[in-house]
Amino acid sequence: MTDAATTTPAVRVDGLTVRYGRTIALDAVSLDVPTGSVFALLGRNGSGKSSLVRCLLGQQKPEAGRLELLGSEPWGKRSRLMERVGVVPEEPDAPREMTPRQLGAFCAHLYPSWEAKGYDARLSRFGVPPATPFGRLSKGQKGLTQLSLALAASPELLLLDDPTLGLDPVARHAFFDEIVTELADRGTTVILTTHDLAGVERIADRVGILKDGRLLLCEETERLKSRFRSIRYRSEVTEGRTEFGNELDEMDPLRAKVRGWGIESVVAGYSDERFNRFAARDGITDAEASPLSLEEVFLAVAGEEKGAAR
Amino acid sequence: MTPRGLHVDPRDAVPIWKQIEEGMRRLVASGALKPGAPVPSVRDLARDLQVNPATVVRAYQHLVEAGLLAVKRGEGTFVADAIPSVPKAERGRALADGALRYASAAVTVGASRDEAARALDAAFARLAPSKEGEKK
Repeated sequence: MTDAATTTPAVRVDGLTVRYGRTIALDAVSLDVPTGSVFALLGRNGSGKSSLVRCLLGQQKPEAGRLELLGSEPWGKRSRLMERVGVVPEEPDAPREMTPRQLGAFCAHLYPSWEAKGYDARLSRFGVPPATPFGRLSKGQKGLTQLSLALAASPELLLLDDPTLGLDPVARHAFFDEIVTELADRGTTVILTTHDLAGVERIADRVGILKDGRLLLCEETERLKSRFRSIRYRSEVTEGRTEFGNELDEMDPLRAKVRGWGIESVVAGYSDERFNRFAARDGITDAEASPLSLEEVFLAVAGEEKGAAR
Repeated sequence: MTPRGLHVDPRDAVPIWKQIEEGMRRLVASGALKPGAPVPSVRDLARDLQVNPATVVRAYQHLVEAGLLAVKRGEGTFVADAIPSVPKAERGRALADGALRYASAAVTVGASRDEAARALDAAFARLAPSKEGEKK
């Protein structure tokens, strides 16, 4: 809150490129994640999210570009950095035969800052049976156990790889509750990849959208949502379903569809003044602008073939 | 713990911190939150609304600066004992601005003056239920 601009970002990525054979997984991706912020990395399967996560975890050596996690390059320093980073992997990866209680006792030896009390308290708050082998827990219980393990090490950075995938609404609510509490109490930096756009919409400060290895956009959630709108209107010029004109150009339309009742478009450069100018044009009637949810913004930007979002 | 009538809608075009700020202002103005009454901690409100705590901090900061909330060290955040009244000029301007925005929205959808007035009444009823309707 105080001097966010002057502190070092928790993560700094500059021109990061990853290639598997001839396939480009990440294409010169650059982004910063400010310390104490919540960054949601969005993208369809195969967009490069997992490659970026693997680079952050020091599991993948980038072909080009720079990557700093808490001030140092993760590649080659994996074990030392992981003391400071809590990870909740997409696929639960704890040994199946160990119980949550045994997992806690095991991890306590690995992390100098282990909080055993917090771990037990979280498990009971989540209703996770502490003496049942991990492999026999439900998907939600596994996820919540992993979160408890990650948080008990008091991480500076929390990396969540699609953490709510497959969780029921109750488990998801508990999951986000815990993240919010952690944020309030310790100001931990959080990076998460997710398909649960409605869930992160209230929590993420910043959003990045990847498509085909490129970062289409990366900006504050609030700013993103303020510049995207769905615009509906009728135009005398387009009555005959012919090509529509350039009436929306000033608002940077991503796509426009001619429907029975008129035209519907998503624009990326909305402002009240621009809209009022547009609505007052000759031949434009019934103009209406409605805000988009994060999910709708994502669909408009990453779902279309022409994924341009300047 | 969250005062009744405080909601956020991420789908709304108004930023979430602003929705919280306006919601609090409304609760204070309508008397649902009395002077000196405690308000939820940042942590509790963020949890209840499932929003980023930084968002709540931002809303509270605005309200503290406006003199609507007061922070007592070690005790928490409270509605100010003396709620500053909005200066007359500012009040008039805010009303006129809001009215113009609403009128233009009404004109845009082709609503008549009567229709617009009815919608306004309905909105009042939703935001500030009349005192008679409440239990003493």
